Amino acid sequence: MEQSGRDAARLVTPAMLAVVLVLASLPLWIDKVGLYPYLGIEILIWALYALSFNLLLGYTGLPSFGHGAYFGIGAYAFGLFQHHVAANLWLCLLAAALAALLAGAAVAAFISHRRGIYYAFMTIAFGQVFWVVAIKAHSLTGGEDGLLRISRLPADFGLVTFDLADNVALFYFVLAIFALALAGLWRLVNSPYGRILQAIRQNETRAAFVGYDVWLYKFSVFALSAGISGLAGGLFAMAQSSAFPDVMSLHYSGYVVMMTLVGGGLVSFWGPVIGAALFLLARDVIGAVTTGWMLWFGLLFMAVVLFKPEGIAGWWQDWSRTRVGNGERGLARLRAILGRRP
Amino acid sequence: MFFLCETGVTLLPHLLNGLTLGLLFALIALGFMLIVGLMEQINLAHGSLFALGAYLAFVLIGARLPLPPDWQLAWLSLPLGWRYAAALVFAPLLTALAGMLLEICVRRTYGKDPLYGLLLTFGAAMVIEELIRLVWGTRDYVLPVPQGISGGMIFWDLIWSTYRFYAAGFALGAIALVWLFIERTPYGAIIKAGAHDSEIVRALGINLARLRLFVFAFGTLLAAVAGIIVAPIWGIRPHMGVDAVVPAFLIIVLGGVGSFWGAVSAGILVGLLVGLSGAYASEWSLLSMYLLLIAVVTFRARGLFGKKSLLEA
Repeated sequence: MEQSGRDAARLVTPAMLAVVLVLASLPLWIDKVGLYPYLGIEILIWALYALSFNLLLGYTGLPSFGHGAYFGIGAYAFGLFQHHVAANLWLCLLAAALAALLAGAAVAAFISHRRGIYYAFMTIAFGQVFWVVAIKAHSLTGGEDGLLRISRLPADFGLVTFDLADNVALFYFVLAIFALALAGLWRLVNSPYGRILQAIRQNETRAAFVGYDVWLYKFSVFALSAGISGLAGGLFAMAQSSAFPDVMSLHYSGYVVMMTLVGGGLVSFWGPVIGAALFLLARDVIGAVTTGWMLWFGLLFMAVVLFKPEGIAGWWQDWSRTRVGNGERGLARLRAILGRRP
Repeated sequence: MFFLCETGVTLLPHLLNGLTLGLLFALIALGFMLIVGLMEQINLAHGSLFALGAYLAFVLIGARLPLPPDWQLAWLSLPLGWRYAAALVFAPLLTALAGMLLEICVRRTYGKDPLYGLLLTFGAAMVIEELIRLVWGTRDYVLPVPQGISGGMIFWDLIWSTYRFYAAGFALGAIALVWLFIERTPYGAIIKAGAHDSEIVRALGINLARLRLFVFAFGTLLAAVAGIIVAPIWGIRPHMGVDAVVPAFLIIVLGGVGSFWGAVSAGILVGLLVGLSGAYASEWSLLSMYLLLIAVVTFRARGLFGKKSLLEA
């Protein structure tokens, strides 16, 4: 994750601005290309979820393969808080993030001293525990039928209140949260804290020898990642107007791994966003042609793992690097030609 | 005293049920353990290959072979027992071919972070499961079994499923055979040596690439055998792969990576626990194995009988 010096110190980078602006124009043209605004909401939510997941996989090198659990907990917390405590959008979203953060912290307390495959499997096991609870606790979650009748609460800003029942309105609301999260996460990964996470990814033992409390960093980043996943889950519950246990299953936990890796989360901040967009576009575009779209995405994923683990962002980086190389070679030749002139 | 007797009698079926389930779990984990223990490679496609074995056996036993009609009739006129036995041999062999294909892909990740192998086989699991959905759809199938091992019997005033005993006995036999193969044959010695120090084995003139291909194929063959044996109990459906691979992984972590008897005893332990907790809280019995794992691994980092391995790095 090499970030150029100037951008790393910024809160809002040119790339971020460009992405948010392009996304903001999406409701204007998405119908014209045969897609629909709801897809934009889904892409934003999954991109947010994948970004939070990549804090673990890409930045800290922690394979969390049961991450759907925290997304699902956020979704259920959003619905349950709305039904039983208070139907206020801000409080519900806070409840979604906090519930997932607490669940993540509880799990992290058990696993943060583990490494490698053992870490991966413990996250799967805890993920399965939450999934089984979501299916079996009928009275709380509605079991396999899901938690229904979750309403899209209005966003109350004191002076003005926005109704989010319409997909385009909800899209802009989710985009605003996404943009805030982008800035916050960018700041986080380029802060001293983020640098230590990357040191842990490169060599956990060495990071510990330098004097960092590796356990505490692994613990806190897991809880934080779970919290942001929970926020994404809360938004998803609002978008779907319901919450279902299947987002907590091993398959869905695997989808976020697939999108992050294919997009290039191992080498780029933007990898998860690219991956989430590609995954959902593939679902709709290939899915329109054949029911077996997951077959093709799965094969793509296998090819990426085998031949280019740096993903699409890695391709882009290679390409732009050679382009810069060509440019510099051209300049040097130009200078040589110019220099020969009297 | 009367009370004790009473609980003993009501508990016994659950204990026996748990024991047979445990042997089946150990059988499911057997191929997974072989590949993890001898190649330090997590095969997350294990469950999908398990499912593939069951589907192929279903095709072989039933009438859906791509053969001329009169051949098909001749095949169907054979007794079910023969067709079942043939399926039990040929379906795992076909699955092992798929396993070999997978190993040729996985080969590129050897020597890298074990995470890549895990991710690759996860992708393979998705692909195989999706292929199964495309070919056979999402409906459930029932694998027919010969008359001799189906039905029930009455014992102590209780009805017992004959098939469960057959399956448990089969699992026991398979575990014993695999153990004999690894511990008592020269091939087993080479495989174990390859796991211990692959450089020396290569220096001794043994083709390591072919050895790994063989071990992987053998592991997937065992996955398919487990699939065929478990299929009449669980039913054949696309999701059976996930239902198998998570317990297999769990049993290996619980028993300890690289330990044969660790995996077998963990399998039986998990079966007993699921059987017993099923007696008291059937809704939650699935949860018990995860709680057991968390409890054990919190105190014993490498499981019950685990050794240090590459997978921790």
